[in-house]
Amino acid sequence: MAEGKKKIFPVHFAPGKKLFHVVVTLSDAPGSYSSILDLVRTKVNLIGTSTYTRSDGTAVFSGFAEALSPKATGKELEKLIMSSKAAISATVYEGKDGILVDTFHTGFVVGDEEYILMRKEGLVHVFNRVSKMLGSGGDALLFDEGIAMGSRNAEMMINTVGAERVRAQVGILNRFLAAQGWGIIEAKDGPGDGGFTVRVVDCFECSPGGSSRRGCNFMRGYLAGGAKATFGRDYESSETKCVLKGADACEFRLTPG
Amino acid sequence: MRLWRILAAASLQVALLVLRGFSPVTLFALPLASAVLVVETKGDFESMAVELNRRGMKAHAPAAIVGKSGVKHEFAFALVPDTGKAKIVVDTELSVRDVDEMKVLKFYVKVFDVGPEKAVLCVCPRLGARAATLAKEYGITVLEDDVPRKLIPMAEKVVNEFVGQGGN
Repeated sequence: MAEGKKKIFPVHFAPGKKLFHVVVTLSDAPGSYSSILDLVRTKVNLIGTSTYTRSDGTAVFSGFAEALSPKATGKELEKLIMSSKAAISATVYEGKDGILVDTFHTGFVVGDEEYILMRKEGLVHVFNRVSKMLGSGGDALLFDEGIAMGSRNAEMMINTVGAERVRAQVGILNRFLAAQGWGIIEAKDGPGDGGFTVRVVDCFECSPGGSSRRGCNFMRGYLAGGAKATFGRDYESSETKCVLKGADACEFRLTPG
Repeated sequence: MRLWRILAAASLQVALLVLRGFSPVTLFALPLASAVLVVETKGDFESMAVELNRRGMKAHAPAAIVGKSGVKHEFAFALVPDTGKAKIVVDTELSVRDVDEMKVLKFYVKVFDVGPEKAVLCVCPRLGARAATLAKEYGITVLEDDVPRKLIPMAEKVVNEFVGQGGN
């Protein structure tokens, strides 16, 4: 199966459709999830769903859905869901004027860390503004911020899984960034004494709208900061290829400083 | 970059003059004069560098210096010995109104990355109040005058004093 972007549903727009956000607290037992799906599919077409377990032994099902009948109501759907023994509580939020917004969740949690979601183009625009307002100083500032974030994120990962495991599993841990949409990061050679080369496919910093900058200074710093925290030595980082300069992917060379 | 600055200065002049209701002749003459001043100021820094180099120093005008980040920064003037570590950097901000804090910040971020012993910002006509406070906080030496060309000898004096104190 080909790699792709994960779809999530904090908002959905479907003019003329009756939309529901179904939130169910379930017992965290085998078959609970499927029993709820069996019930709701008779009344709605599910657009996107997510499930997760909670520390209190329950699980949450959250689904965006379009009603199969324009006469369907949220209260009816709640009653139907609560007829399942797996359901502990159910709330169905109705969309208005073809707009459905997730009013249940208040952010994202990965492990123990809270995350926010923002448009990639929006962040790139911030980088563009910094670079435009502060010129070459803005590029340096982005690099410094990249170092700081790369270092902190690597330290967080080291605290979670241990330094040895981070060093041994750099390849798979880099996919964590890919899953978050930062770009597919691949080390082209090992972190030997001569340093290493990192290729970033679909680098977020080169997203459309990033053409006013001269390179990926944040990512360049991020890689240097992450490498320092991981391998315990300073690295000088240079960008040898960049999508902003016409390359098919960005490439960075990290050499021990 | 030079062209951009010239155009920026000219555009600012045009905007201000339109607001003030100046005659069309003045409207075009003054931006041109402003552009010439920017170029002349740069030329004077080059002359200053030539003079300092004649005295055995390593002066550059304009100066392109690579900072700690690996980003290359441009300054109107700099003393950079063979070690590559800048001793003093000078930049200019020419405007038709008080220069705001964003220009100070723009200069400071470059200075922070390059890490010289002394940083001088030549401003025409002057810094705004908030910009002046910021420059003081950042330890930037600010030279102000209504006449851009007068800034050159002022900068030269500061550079010579710095050199006299063993700065080169």
